[in-house]
Amino acid sequence: MKLVAVTACPTGIAHTYMAAEQLERVARKLGFSLKVETQGAMGIENELEQDEINEAAAVIFAVGITVQKPERFEGKRVFEFSVQEAIKNAEGILQKVKEEIGG
Amino acid sequence: MAAEFRFEFPLPLGLHARPASFIQEKCQDYPGEIIWENQRTQKRAEAKSAIALLTTDTQHRDLCRVVVRGKDEEQFAAELESFLLRELPLKEEQALKVEKPAEAIIPVVVQGQPEVFLTGQPASSGVASGRVVVLGRHPDLSGYAELADRKAENSEKEIESFRRTLEELQKEIEKELKEKTGVEKSILKAHHSLASDPALSGRIEELIEKEKLSAPAALVRTVSEFSQELLRSKTQYIRERVADLSDLARRLLEKLGCEKAVGQGTELTGPAIIVAEDLWPSEFLDIPPGRILGLILEKAGQTSHTLIMARGRGIPAITGVADACRLITSGDEAIVDGNRGVAVVSPGEEVKKYYEREEAAEEELRKIRLKKASLPGATADGKIIEIAANIGHPEELKKAWQDGAEAVGIFRTELLLYGKPTLPSEEEQFLLYKRVAEESEGRPIIIRTFDIGGDKPIPCLKLPPEPNPFLGYRGVRIYRDYYELFRSQVRAILRAARFGKLRLMFPMVALVEEVRWLKEQVKKFGQELEKEGLDCRADIEIGIMLEIPSVAMLADKFAPEVDFFSVGSNDLVQYFFAADRGNPLVKHFNQPLNPALLRLLKFAIDKAHENGKWVGLCGELAGDPRLTPIFVGLWFDELSMSSGFIPEVKAVLNRLQVKDCQKLVARFLEAATAEENERLLEDYYQQQFSPELITPELVILEADCSSKIGVMQELAIAFERAGRVESRAVFEQALWKREQDVATEIGFGLAIPHCQSGTVRTPSIGLMRLKKPVDWQSKEGQPVDLIICLAIPSGEKVRPKLQLLPKLSRKLIHEEFRDSLRQATEVEAIVSLIKSATR
Repeated sequence: MKLVAVTACPTGIAHTYMAAEQLERVARKLGFSLKVETQGAMGIENELEQDEINEAAAVIFAVGITVQKPERFEGKRVFEFSVQEAIKNAEGILQKVKEEIGG
Repeated sequence: MAAEFRFEFPLPLGLHARPASFIQEKCQDYPGEIIWENQRTQKRAEAKSAIALLTTDTQHRDLCRVVVRGKDEEQFAAELESFLLRELPLKEEQALKVEKPAEAIIPVVVQGQPEVFLTGQPASSGVASGRVVVLGRHPDLSGYAELADRKAENSEKEIESFRRTLEELQKEIEKELKEKTGVEKSILKAHHSLASDPALSGRIEELIEKEKLSAPAALVRTVSEFSQELLRSKTQYIRERVADLSDLARRLLEKLGCEKAVGQGTELTGPAIIVAEDLWPSEFLDIPPGRILGLILEKAGQTSHTLIMARGRGIPAITGVADACRLITSGDEAIVDGNRGVAVVSPGEEVKKYYEREEAAEEELRKIRLKKASLPGATADGKIIEIAANIGHPEELKKAWQDGAEAVGIFRTELLLYGKPTLPSEEEQFLLYKRVAEESEGRPIIIRTFDIGGDKPIPCLKLPPEPNPFLGYRGVRIYRDYYELFRSQVRAILRAARFGKLRLMFPMVALVEEVRWLKEQVKKFGQELEKEGLDCRADIEIGIMLEIPSVAMLADKFAPEVDFFSVGSNDLVQYFFAADRGNPLVKHFNQPLNPALLRLLKFAIDKAHENGKWVGLCGELAGDPRLTPIFVGLWFDELSMSSGFIPEVKAVLNRLQVKDCQKLVARFLEAATAEENERLLEDYYQQQFSPELITPELVILEADCSSKIGVMQELAIAFERAGRVESRAVFEQALWKREQDVATEIGFGLAIPHCQSGTVRTPSIGLMRLKKPVDWQSKEGQPVDLIICLAIPSGEKVRPKLQLLPKLSRKLIHEEFRDSLRQATEVEAIVSLIKSATR
């Protein structure tokens, strides 16, 4: 299953990247394809291409602030979680998304 | 029957005096009973009494119930509900527009505690604790306290006289009300409603009747009871209403024939924290050194000489503390936190523990400073720059030497005149200057002659008032008219110069003719002294302040006339940009990095040097270590500052290369705006001083902290000790602010407190391991034993080092990495683990 995600937190130096790392790691373990874009103090990194978003079965936001460039995700199914949740329970999040989209 | 409604209290600051008085106003004419019940605090009050309303301690969003019983109760209840939810917030909003927030940092440890804390502005850094002596100009109610037991046999008569007096006072306030507008009016209104408060007068009359107290005694007792109640409130606004209450009581007491309180601890018998409305420089100086542990002032300006001297002496101070004199009582125990602008009265255990650690940290930091203080006044490649202290009194010499001063760059003698009834005699001055010369043990001392006028009015010298004193009759300009003053001072200095290396400096020189005249007089005074058979040094070195732009432009013509120049940057900047430095409306013209100013300085310094004369800097700017490279590049020969700044300036100076500084200045001179130069300076610092992300100083293993508060405090101290942050108080607050959004505990026993703040000098990582886990106050409440603290400077989006922090954050997700951080036994091992994770 193909997914994309965005992580972002207020300060953008810690949680953003921890959440990204955790989601990527767990996705690998579960055999999902997941690309994570980080929106932190460094700006947008590992930016999601429109094609990648279009192809994805769903979008995960693990955020504590508003996502930048939100227009890219219009029409997509977006699942929003807190950054903390993504760090502490990435597996639960991914399983939940999987169930919801029936994948 | 009764009508009632429930609502959430809408005002963000809670129910404080002003809204309470509005509510009272609304309710007082209703023929019936109106009961206000705060469902959170379970307290009830009659809404016709403002004071009673305050004691319900109603905070923002507290659920309240109001019950109305009486005529047309339904209708009035509806009216009142609409008033509370619509009109009251509007009134409040209007009132708040004119009030300014305090700049204080309230430490988290105090926020959760019941003790009273007062906020102001930080005015002199450091922490002090001890007993309080209130020197406030207003007599304190405690002075009347002895009245509190006086009895009155005829209570009927006593009540009658009390009612009459109260009525008189109400009328008086009503009259005052008519003359006032705006905030003052609304404060008076609050006073008026206090004076009309049935709860207050009811209790007083009750005491007179039942306990046979005299009216003054009943009043003092009642006010103290109500004050206790108010002081328990969480809202500062409400706590501070005690002052209004005391104020009112005092007016009543005076009307009841009580004398003003006297002798309330004005004699300082031992070291104490002084609380005062303001303290004249002379009052400050009259108190023996060591007696002032700290200062809590209501109104002293940040640049008042008292505070400048407090900084010089290393006495912690805060100012702008509203009503401090009335809220604090002589004999109270208190803590002054000059780093945060907070004072705590009668601190409890938690707060004491926190501040004991703060005091210990201050001491540690002081030792680090001492080490810096003993550095030579020279750049890394050996250019010598004399680092000197600014003083206002000989008392400050000792601290100046301790701080590493190699000379005194300016002794502001006019401070000796403040508050004195008469001018000091030549002999008096001679003894004082002689003492300075002797105590300096051969170090050079620049004595700047009296700079009177402008912002520095002297009571013992009646100078005519002027429309524009800064551009008027001040400094040497008055010497022809006040010749004796000038003559006696210069004679005293010439005589004292035999006992040490004294130099003479004149303020506010604008013209070459002035210098010529001054020199002639000095010569004449020397001859006089010789004739009189008094020993002196007529060949004393003579310099002038460079604070008027004309002197800079004509430096080559002034140079042959003098031995040295000293730039007074405060005045030079305001004269050069035509902007009063005390006027907040034109504050942004105070631009030390403006290329126009730098060009002026460069020009003047070069001309002085061409003529073999040296140039110093003795304004506030000299003490800013960030600017030191610029002053080196401009080729100043001496920098003189409040001695507290010396260690940091020396530490920076010792790392500078002259060539780099010159290159930097060359670029500065070509800029168009101060802002461009700010950026250049920022880049320079990153290149020159950019250290590793983590050093052993930032690793604390097996720390013995029992709470999150303790952890945050230790981290902040470690970061300041390592020179990573400018102010640990600001840093600690920034870390807490992030925690209050969402606690940074992320599971695995790990927390990552972090912040982006202007106080952070360079991106840094700190690590702390705890002996015992602490509660991180997070949602899930998992205890934490490993803390990694990330700090980045503000405005720093793309700096290369910043990329390294995300790398570490990602690494922390992996259990192996966390385990290795937990298992490492050496600090060095941790440092290299982190370094490798950020590579």
